[in-house]
Amino acid sequence: MASTVPFKLITPTKVVFEGDAELVIATTTEGEEGILPKHAPFLAALKPGVLRANVQRDGATTRLELATAEGFMQALPDRVTVLVDEAFAFEDVDVAKTQQELAQAQERQKTAPDPAAALRDQAAIDMANAKLRLTGHH
Amino acid sequence: MASVKDLRERIRSLKNTQQITKAMKQVAAAKIRRAEMAQKQARPYADTLSEMLRDLMASVGTVDHPFMKTGNASAPQGVILMTADKGLAGAFNSNIIRAGEIYARANPSVTWYTVGIKARNFVRRSGSPDHQTWALNALAKIESAREVARRVTDDFVQGKIAGITLISPKLVSMLSQKPETRALVPITRTDIVGAADAHATPKGAVEFSPSPEAVLSRLLPKYLEFTIFSAMLETDAAFFAAQLVAMNNATDNAGKLIDELTIQMNNARQAAITKELLEIVGGAEALNG
Repeated sequence: MASTVPFKLITPTKVVFEGDAELVIATTTEGEEGILPKHAPFLAALKPGVLRANVQRDGATTRLELATAEGFMQALPDRVTVLVDEAFAFEDVDVAKTQQELAQAQERQKTAPDPAAALRDQAAIDMANAKLRLTGHH
Repeated sequence: MASVKDLRERIRSLKNTQQITKAMKQVAAAKIRRAEMAQKQARPYADTLSEMLRDLMASVGTVDHPFMKTGNASAPQGVILMTADKGLAGAFNSNIIRAGEIYARANPSVTWYTVGIKARNFVRRSGSPDHQTWALNALAKIESAREVARRVTDDFVQGKIAGITLISPKLVSMLSQKPETRALVPITRTDIVGAADAHATPKGAVEFSPSPEAVLSRLLPKYLEFTIFSAMLETDAAFFAAQLVAMNNATDNAGKLIDELTIQMNNARQAAITKELLEIVGGAEALNG
């Protein structure tokens, strides 16, 4: 059996996942980053993307896939913690609504008044894309 | 002395009032449980966030972030005044508003930002009808908190305000809620590192992606957002606690009044009966005599 590391996924309103993981892959601002147990201390900023993890559930390894908003990932030798604004499971995503949000954000970005607003719209676009990728509509 | 009929009317209306206050008390008790649950669910995020900030602060020497610099000293002070949306909670909202007034008197000029309808009404009445305002319970609280944090920090970075102060209720206990005034921005090192030193664990070298400064510049706004969010959760919990106490008192007082009036009514009824008896006896005496 592969070694595991305690893994927590936390949003401001709840703890989405808490358990043992063999592998955690998150999208940092620099690209995808995979964390295995006993990783050296590491702290990264995350951008909206699909978070994947191989986790232990009821003794078996299962795949956890979530669309996550921006946040942070902290890896320590003895634990991995991911803090995100929001996390969506497959069944939480409303595909039609997300496609609409994506179109709106893209439209808004074209006429964004300042760079900060454009960045916010980009985050909304990334988030919508992540949700669509999670549900296989991308 | 009031007639039996008047007293009976008053007792009946008091009983109706008592029924309403009793119902509101039970609703507040149920809602306070939910508000406390929300607070509890936010705690893991708070703990992890401050842990990350501490690690960061330990590994970056000097911090060059606008939130940690002193603002434009000639600009007015920015104040976030946070109350509940509704009343019927004793002196809960007016205590916070009074803390706001005291703060405003101590500072030459103040720019208001309000969260909660009661705070909004106060600031509108006191002469800034077009300040920025949010309801406490309009959207999801985290959305409003993000919005508030973004507006105040934008104004701060642009030099429109000298700093950001938050006045919000603190839930001391179920029976006691006190307004609390604290400075949010500029963020000082001790805000983040200070209290935590007791159980700080050295973790050695930490690697940051993309860089400590870049992570910090994302963490600080999140930290502010979350501080405002948890203040909103606390306002909610404190409001229901205050409402519970106020409605409990109102129910008790109505009960006391009902008891008093019932005695008065019985007295009045007895007096009327005695009077009637006397009249009958008097009449009979007169006929016999």
